[in-house]
Amino acid sequence: MQPLLELKSIKRSFGAIDALRGVDFEINAGEVMGLVGENGAGKSTLVKIISGFDAGYTGEYLLKGKPVVFNNAVGAERAGIAIAQQELSLIPTMSVAENIFLVGHNVPLFATKRSLAKKAKTFLEEVGLDDIDPSKGVDRLSVGEQHLVEVARLIAHDPSVLILDEPTAALGESDSIRILNMVKRLAANGKSIIYVSHRMDEIFKITDRITVLRDGSSQAARPASELDVHSLVSLMLGREMTDMFPQRSVVAPVPPMMQVMDLWPDGLLGPVSFDIKPGEILGLAGQLGSGSGEVLGAIAGARKTRGGQLQMDGRTFLPKSPREAIAAGIGYCSEDRKHDGLFLGRPIIENISSPSLGAISTAGFLSHRRERDLATDIAQKFTVDQSRMNAEAGVLSGGNQQKVALGKWLSIEPKIILVNEPTRGVDVGARAEIYRKLRELADAGAAIVLASTDIQEITNLPDRVLTFYRGMLIGEIAQDQLSAATILKQITDPFNQTNL
Amino acid sequence: MAADTMNSSPKQSLSLWGKLTQHYSPLVIVMVALLVFVFVAGMVTAPNFLTWFNFKTIIRDAALVGIMAIGLTFVTLSGNFFLLSMKETAALCVIAFATSMSAGYGFEVSFIFTMLIAVIAGALQGILIGLGGNPIVVTLGAAGLFFGVGSWWSDNLVISFRRPHGAEWLGSGSFLGLPNITVAFILFAVVAELVLRYTNFGRQVYLVGANRAAGHATGHENFSMAIKTCIIASVCSAVVAIAFAAQVSSAHVNYFSSSFGSSGDMTILVIATVMVGGNSIMGGYGSTLRSSLGAIFISTVDNMMVLHGFNSGPRVLAVGLMIVFSIIVFALLRRGSRVQE
Repeated sequence: MQPLLELKSIKRSFGAIDALRGVDFEINAGEVMGLVGENGAGKSTLVKIISGFDAGYTGEYLLKGKPVVFNNAVGAERAGIAIAQQELSLIPTMSVAENIFLVGHNVPLFATKRSLAKKAKTFLEEVGLDDIDPSKGVDRLSVGEQHLVEVARLIAHDPSVLILDEPTAALGESDSIRILNMVKRLAANGKSIIYVSHRMDEIFKITDRITVLRDGSSQAARPASELDVHSLVSLMLGREMTDMFPQRSVVAPVPPMMQVMDLWPDGLLGPVSFDIKPGEILGLAGQLGSGSGEVLGAIAGARKTRGGQLQMDGRTFLPKSPREAIAAGIGYCSEDRKHDGLFLGRPIIENISSPSLGAISTAGFLSHRRERDLATDIAQKFTVDQSRMNAEAGVLSGGNQQKVALGKWLSIEPKIILVNEPTRGVDVGARAEIYRKLRELADAGAAIVLASTDIQEITNLPDRVLTFYRGMLIGEIAQDQLSAATILKQITDPFNQTNL
Repeated sequence: MAADTMNSSPKQSLSLWGKLTQHYSPLVIVMVALLVFVFVAGMVTAPNFLTWFNFKTIIRDAALVGIMAIGLTFVTLSGNFFLLSMKETAALCVIAFATSMSAGYGFEVSFIFTMLIAVIAGALQGILIGLGGNPIVVTLGAAGLFFGVGSWWSDNLVISFRRPHGAEWLGSGSFLGLPNITVAFILFAVVAELVLRYTNFGRQVYLVGANRAAGHATGHENFSMAIKTCIIASVCSAVVAIAFAAQVSSAHVNYFSSSFGSSGDMTILVIATVMVGGNSIMGGYGSTLRSSLGAIFISTVDNMMVLHGFNSGPRVLAVGLMIVFSIIVFALLRRGSRVQE
């Protein structure tokens, strides 16, 4: 059978860097092709070439057996190749229907809101959004629903190949499931789908075949049924995966490092109380909107609270700003490193020293030598390339950015480190390093509190897990009870409302 | 990962440009190159251009705008855009200074009085901006307030004060053959640059300007940054106001408004200087050194045009063109200097 779309020995270099060095790729009609690889392996570059954003490559691009050249994205779109990028391109102030018919040949010249909504309905049904009023404003939808609308807009142009670039990266469990269901439905309707993702479980759930990229080269596509997580990761890394998650250490019964007493962060239905012990990794499990992340933000002084106290070192207090929390030895890595985790335009060295300017200065004057020593030490611990300390943080890959965003807290010698989604958009290699690092910090006596929607991570990394569901603290799962099934049950259906 | 560890080919032989960019930011090189070009052009076309006297004139002309631009640069770097009240602050301060001088309080007391007013003016705007007020709106309002108070206070009249008034040294004195205001400009430029590079405060200005949310998360609040930088800008305005008043022994609320320098409006000229220097409008990137160079650059071009007999219309146009040009050049350079992920 002739593949619908085929690329042969594609090469692309940026200056001295070879992003792609001979990649072969193909996809058949009605097939779901997984595209995986570490950050920097060339996934984005390949996707850009397929979707016409990048014409500066060498190699063959065949569509239905005929060579094609796209000079821009519009050309590729006309030929039936559509891409849903990670960053949404919806206009939030306009309605769902208006967004679907924003641009393109199918935009009616004259339309009433009602006729537009009616036309939009069919496409919404195709992506599984039958329950949504097309005249609703896009800004009133959940992020997951917005992703689906984005796809519905692409479907409206009737593409034959649809590229989804990490569609679930920013989504919680239930929204992710909607996306996966949509992919299955579209494939059943004959569309070819290129699915780019870091999430192993998804890849295996929905793809027919998987293409692995490593260091700009491709491995021949293999049927998903012939692979398992272990072998796939080995293909991606080019080596056997040693255990992703570090060994848990035995936490001796010790008095808690911090007692959270009746803390009521905005967004929760009621106050929560729990202990944080030195030397442990405490997991907060919950889907997006469950309140687990809000609890972290409140402890860090980054989020408003209705009340509550923290007890630590014999002191009872509640930080009103991150500044106060930092002074108490609490470091907080939010889920969005680009928003408030990094100074992207500033050098890496300044990023690392940012929370602890006091420690590297005397009477208000910075010591550049002390700053360099401090930052080099931390960079070494986190395996960040030390020769690039003066480069802007923005040029780093996602994994290295996350290491800097997390590593900077070491500079305050924290007692408690709060991390929210530490591995979002981070490749497998860097992910294992981050897990190992968190465990080392805990072993050194710090307390780590980890909030995550990644079920694999929340099951395997923490020593103890608190579960959250719709703004409520549901329960605590001790180490010997920890399993994905127990956690999933508590964070999706704690009150037996549905039969999953 | 793979792309990260790869360094941009150290093997290939370095061109002159490559060697220069290893040590200096490309932006500074372009700035200096342009300055040299304008100097050479001036030398060739205007015989009076390359004289020590003319050189001193250029720096002296740059000094007043330059000092204010240095102050404003702190605000811009910290991500709080611009103060649209620069000239009105100066107007209020010039009235305060002259009133105090003409009442016979002497230079020292009048200086301190004026500075106090400048600090209050700066803090007022800084607090409002720090609380979340839009800098443009806040300072536009403040501009009206300051100008109104100054105008009311002086009854819109020229206030003169007698010589000798103790401020001659600032107005017309000199040091090593340079006018004192020029010396002050150089001093301000050096100190400001050192503060930005070597103090905690300077670093906070960059960090908060580069990403306010990340600054908040790492314990650096824009609230205090806005207040401190607005006070610095305001104090710089006051210094310029006093120097100007000392020079002409009088004050009027309109001194900085109409027909000041080449482009008529002091605030616009100061903002232009910050931008021609290539500072990022969004904050977090740039330096006071650039603003100082920007002031000298504008002053040089202006001087050349004066020597060629241009009147104010074309000279204002030239300042406008310089802004547009520098924004384009610096945007392109900045894009080029960033490795795309």
